[in-house]
Formats: sequence, structure tokens, C-alpha cells
Amino acid sequence: MPESAALIFAVGVLNAMTPILLTAVGEIIAERAGVVNIGLEGIIMIGAMAATMAAEGFGPLAGLLAGIGVGALLGLLHAVLTAYLKGDHVIPGIGVNTLALGLVPFMLIVYWGSAGQHTVPRYAQVPKIAGYISPMPFIAILIAVAAWYILFKTPTGLKLRSVGENPVAADTVGILVERTQAVAVVVGAALAGLAGAFMSIDWLGVLTKEIAAGRGFIALALVVFSNWNPLWALGGALLFGTFDSLSQWLKVLHTGIPDTLINTLPYVVTLIAVAGVLGRVQPPRHAGIPYRRE
Amino acid sequence: MAAPETGREPVVSMRDIVKIYPDGTVALRGVNLDIYPGEVLGLLGENGAGKTTLMKILAGFLKPTSGYILLRGRRVVWHSAAEALRHGIGMVHQHLSLVPVFTAYENIILGLPSRMLAGARQRIEKLMEETGLEVPLDEVVELLSFGEQQRVEILRMLFRNVDVLILDEPTTNLTPNETETLFNAIRKLKQQGKSIVFITHKLREVLEITDRIVVMRRGRVVGELPRAMADPRLLARMMVGREVLMRVEKPPAKPGEVVLRVENLWVKRDIGTWGVRGVSFEIRAGEIFGIAGVEGNGQAELVEAITGLRRVERGKIYFLGRDVTNLGPAELYRMGMAHVPEDRRSTGLIMDMNVVENSILGLHRWERFLRNKWGMLNWAAAEEHAKELVKKYEIAAPGLYSPVKYLSGGNQQKLLLGREISKNPKLIVAAQPTRGLDVAATEYVRRMLVALRNQGHAVLLVSSDTDEVMQLSDRIAVMYRGRFVVVTRPEEVTEEKLGLYMGGIEQA
Repeated sequence: MPESAALIFAVGVLNAMTPILLTAVGEIIAERAGVVNIGLEGIIMIGAMAATMAAEGFGPLAGLLAGIGVGALLGLLHAVLTAYLKGDHVIPGIGVNTLALGLVPFMLIVYWGSAGQHTVPRYAQVPKIAGYISPMPFIAILIAVAAWYILFKTPTGLKLRSVGENPVAADTVGILVERTQAVAVVVGAALAGLAGAFMSIDWLGVLTKEIAAGRGFIALALVVFSNWNPLWALGGALLFGTFDSLSQWLKVLHTGIPDTLINTLPYVVTLIAVAGVLGRVQPPRHAGIPYRRE
Repeated sequence: MAAPETGREPVVSMRDIVKIYPDGTVALRGVNLDIYPGEVLGLLGENGAGKTTLMKILAGFLKPTSGYILLRGRRVVWHSAAEALRHGIGMVHQHLSLVPVFTAYENIILGLPSRMLAGARQRIEKLMEETGLEVPLDEVVELLSFGEQQRVEILRMLFRNVDVLILDEPTTNLTPNETETLFNAIRKLKQQGKSIVFITHKLREVLEITDRIVVMRRGRVVGELPRAMADPRLLARMMVGREVLMRVEKPPAKPGEVVLRVENLWVKRDIGTWGVRGVSFEIRAGEIFGIAGVEGNGQAELVEAITGLRRVERGKIYFLGRDVTNLGPAELYRMGMAHVPEDRRSTGLIMDMNVVENSILGLHRWERFLRNKWGMLNWAAAEEHAKELVKKYEIAAPGLYSPVKYLSGGNQQKLLLGREISKNPKLIVAAQPTRGLDVAATEYVRRMLVALRNQGHAVLLVSSDTDEVMQLSDRIAVMYRGRFVVVTRPEEVTEEKLGLYMGGIEQA
């Protein structure tokens, strides 16, 4: 085996970074348009499940697309409830998270006949470069940079952000507030679905009933601490990835520290670091508030 | 009705417009209005007369309950404000609808299709030159003055080539110079054949800038006349429906001992820059000390520092002889300070709570309103108190238990002032107390403040309405960029001179 320890570590970092990054960037897009979706954790889980099903039937590409598709569908549901029906932004997210908590273990038993976890067969997994490097982290970084560019450098981004900042102003000049929000939420949720797909049929190669393990919520925190900027989110996600990878190594080194404690390391460090480093943030002013005309 | 522009077709005609809100409020009771090309139409009326509602219907923000709009003779129905804007009708609201974190340029081009963006910058610059409405295009609009922000909004409309430009109370927050710039731009736009609708309740302005004046009262047009035939008294009578006192009677001041002394006060803004930069003054019992100035020159920070809502960085505040620098608001109120805050809707009252609840906000720990020593409220006493306020200050409310958001601005302000006065305070800090009130309510509030002063209370009045400061104050300070540029007496200064101080052009 030619790979060095450093390389394996780096790959570990990139893999651990990817789901957080995809989910956070997706939520940044949605929140910049004024819609808060806290159902990311659930979308990751359901996305991971759908991806496994599709990949086992039609191959890994279909798996990734299924993750995106299921995410988009759940996003559409959220968009209908929030953007069009002007409902509360938090409740539907709780619903999706709770649904996933029941649905995924249930399907593991009903569909795969195993309680708790199911190993994804090799043929259904995303092929790796040089045997162990997934292309997905690079795609995720590309998506983050592209999202930043679109949000801050194009007229489309200007429109999207205006809806999240002052929908009245946007409405007045003819921007379709509801449609813009819907598109943003669907795209954002699709990225969370892709994050789920990456976890089950690529990185971990296994579908478990707690596959998201709080990443959806870490991503939500990262959205805030990144000041709703995809590039800062990339930095935060890399940090998380680094400590996640580090914690795996710590476990192998028999340090005497309990594994469960080591497992908390990436979460704790990420929260402390991003909270401390970035300081004051400026949220989109109309995020999470249903927009109603007079 | 007069037909002033004979031989010309109106660009817009509104016919039999009725607007009834879902809660049953009748805002417009059958209004007809014509707007001609190349004219400045003054739409005059008190708050609640229906001016803004009428124009919001024209600009597509509201749908009429019945009636219709003709645009160049053709009947139109707006489904959105954007649609009206596409057809050349644009409205600049009193509360601007800009995206605060975007630059001026971004706000102007927002929502335009990409094909219209080529050379947009040059065209905007040309527009600024033609109209004199200059703004720094690359500055984030929340860092601009209100006047500049308003220009951004007007430029946004002009860039979309509107034929009818509606300005709702455009001069409320402008300096005299900014107002002049705006008026010059309006004159130029008129020459280009555009129609400008100027909504206001300020008589002087309507007489200065308009060609034709339409007066509204209680959802109806009650009069229409060319400017040449109008005079202030006539207009005021049409607006209010009765004779109005244009000035508040004020006996000479009898100043007593010093109530508030401020020494070299320095206070920061939210964003960390200095808002108040070394201000000193004192107020005595029985006098009104007025602070004039364009908003955003530190008045808000000064008021917040005095009322204990904002940290004092340097300097001292003495209240009733005691050093109260950086003391909390609860303690200050207990000592006898009352605060009528600038934004009554978010700071002074709780809109969703009813009249009774609002009437005891901040007084809720008074023994009178407590049932027992465990702090249970005595609602009967609270209701009694609210009843007293309603009676004493002639507050028109749907009911004691209706949320205050259903009261008019004037009645909200009376409730707020009444509540603060019921503390029998030594000092009343009143920030923009008549902002957004109609003529009758303004008159009432001003008389209340003078009455308080006559009873020996000290009043700190902060207002961007020069006329108000001149009328009410015994001493006047003008605040500009965090400092007092002058402290004087109303009889020693003219309003024009005050305007120059406010704009930072003149220094004492």
C-alpha cells in the first residue's frame, strides 16, 4: 500500500468535511432567501436511505441522484408550507427530523431485514480515485465556491439575498418572492440530501439508523457562525473534518480517554472555534419570518 | 370641481375608489382623482384621511374594494406593485423599502433583467446629474443618511422610467437643504413631463412645490384648488374640518432648580462609532429644552444615555443632584424620569397588548396595582387607571381591552404620554413626540407638553421638526454630528438660521 499516513489523514478530513459543508451551504442558500429549514438532520438521514435503495438497484450515480431528489422533494414540501402557505419555519423541520427518526430504522428492518444498520455492497458504492479517494469532497468544495460566487457576484444572487433581507423591496421591483424562496429551499435541501447519500453509499459504506449523528445541527450552527457565507462555511467544515479525523486516530492510539468522549471532540472544537473566531455576525434580516402582503 | 389643466388628458384617473379593510375600517368612501402629465399634485390631509391608501391603490400595493383606475384612458387592474411599476407608476413610501445591506447601486438595479444592466451605471450617473439627486453609488445604503436613502429610492423609480412618481411625506426626515434639493429635482422632473404626487400634511410645502392641491378628509376628497388660490388657513380648515390653532399659547417660563445636568457626554452608536461627542447642558424645572437636528446626528443615542438605555463612555449625568451616570432605567424611572420614546410602536407601547395592560406598563409594581404582597395584579385598579387616562386625555379607543395597535397614532401617543405623566415625573424626555401624528393630535400633544412645563416639570424635547422645537422650547440646542453647534433661545434665532445649523453649514 503506497499511501502515507498523512494522505489517509487528509482523505479522512475531506470525507468528514463533506456532509457538513454540503448541508451548511444548502442552508445558507435557503436562509439567504429568508427561509429557515431546521429539518436538515432528517433530510440527511432520509437522503442516505433513499440513496442506498437506488444505488443497490441502479448503481451509485442513481444513488446520488436519489439523495438529491429526495432532499429536493422534502425541500419542496418545506417551501410550500413556508413560502406559499406562510407557515411557521420551525415546525415542519421538527416534523421531518422526527419522521426520519422513525422512518429510517423502520425501513432498515422492513426493506433490508436488519435492525440498526445495513452494509452497502461494494457495487453500489461511489467509485474511488486510486482506490480510496472519493471525488465527492472536491465536488462539495466546488459547490461551496460556486454558491458563494452566485450569491455575491451575480444578479441572481442579488435577487435571492434581497428576498431574505427585505421581501417588500424585492416584491416592489417585481422579484417573485415566493418562487425565489421555493427555489432556494429546494436547492438547499437537495444539497442536504446529497450529503446523506455521500455518507451512506460513499464515505461510510453503511446505512445506520443514526447516520446523520447530529451533522444536520452542526451545519445549522455553522450557517450562523459562517455569517451566511459559503466560504467561511468551508473553513468551518474543514475544521470539523480535521477534528473528526483526529478523533478516529485518537481512538486507535489507546490514550485511555473513553471513546465516547473522543467522539465529541469535533463537535465541541467546531462550536467553540467558529463561535470565538468570527465574532459578530449579521443574519439576513427577514430569515425565518413568513412574508405576508398587506 | 375645478378642471385646471383644460385641453389635456389626464395620465391617470381614479374613479369611485372605495377601500374597506378586512377589519371593517372604511378608508376610502368613493374617491375620484385625476393626475395630469407635467404637474405636481399636492395630496393634503390628516393622518387617516386616506391619502396614502389611495396612492397605494394607484401603485398596486392595495386592491380597491370597488372603483377602477384608468391609465391613459384605458382601464387597468394591478395584481402587484411591480406590475404598476412596469406601467410607469412608482411610489416612494414614508418607510423606505430598500435592502439595507446592499449598496445604492445594487438597490437601484435590483430586479431588473440582465439585458437592462448594460451601461446601467453610466445611465444612473447621468440621471443623478440631470436631477441633482446625487448619491454615493457604492456605499451600503444603511450607512447613508435618510435623505440619501430616499434619493436612492427615487433614482430606482426614475431608472425604471416612471411617468407618475408618488412621494409619501417625503420631507419628514430631511434637512432644509435636502428638501431644497428634492424640490429642485421635482421641478426638473415636472419639466420633463412627469407627474408627481406629493402626499403631505405640511401646509407650507404644499404651497411651495405643488401646482394643484387636493384635500382629503375621512376617506373623501373635500376640496380641490389651484395653488394660487390656496392659503394656509383655508387649507388647514379644509383638512381638519374646523378652525385650528396654528400656534400653541405659552406663558413666559419660570425656571426653577436644575433637574438634569449633563457634562461632556460621550456615547457610542450600535456600530461602535461615536454618536454623542462631548455634549453638556442642563435643564431646569419648568422649562422645555429643545434639541433640534436632522435625525442620526446623535439625538437618539443622547436620549438613550440619559434614560439609562445606553452606556455612557465618558462624562457625567446628574439627575436631581445625584450622579446617575450608567444607572439603569428602572432606577431612573423610580427617581422620577419619564420617557416618551421615539418609536412608540416598538419601545413605548406593546402593540398586541390592550389599553389596560399598556396603561400600567412600568407602573405594574405600584402598590395601587397590586392585589397582595405576592405581586398579583389588581386588574380592577388597572382598569380604573386606564379609564382615567382615556377620559383625561380624550383617547379614542375601540375599547379598553382592544389591542393598542387598533388605535390611531395620535391616540397611541396620548396613551403613552398619559401613562408617563401619571408617574408625576420630575423630567419628561420626549423624543419626536408628534412624529406621524395628524394636525389635531399634534396640537394636543404640544399643548400637553407646554402644560407640563407650566406645572413645573422639566421637559427635554428632541425633535427633527424645526417648527415644533421653535414653538415649544424655552431654550434650543442644535445637534450636528454628535455635538451641539449652538444653544440659543427661540426669540434669538430664525427658522432659516436653525436650518443652516442643522445642516452643519453655520457654526456658532
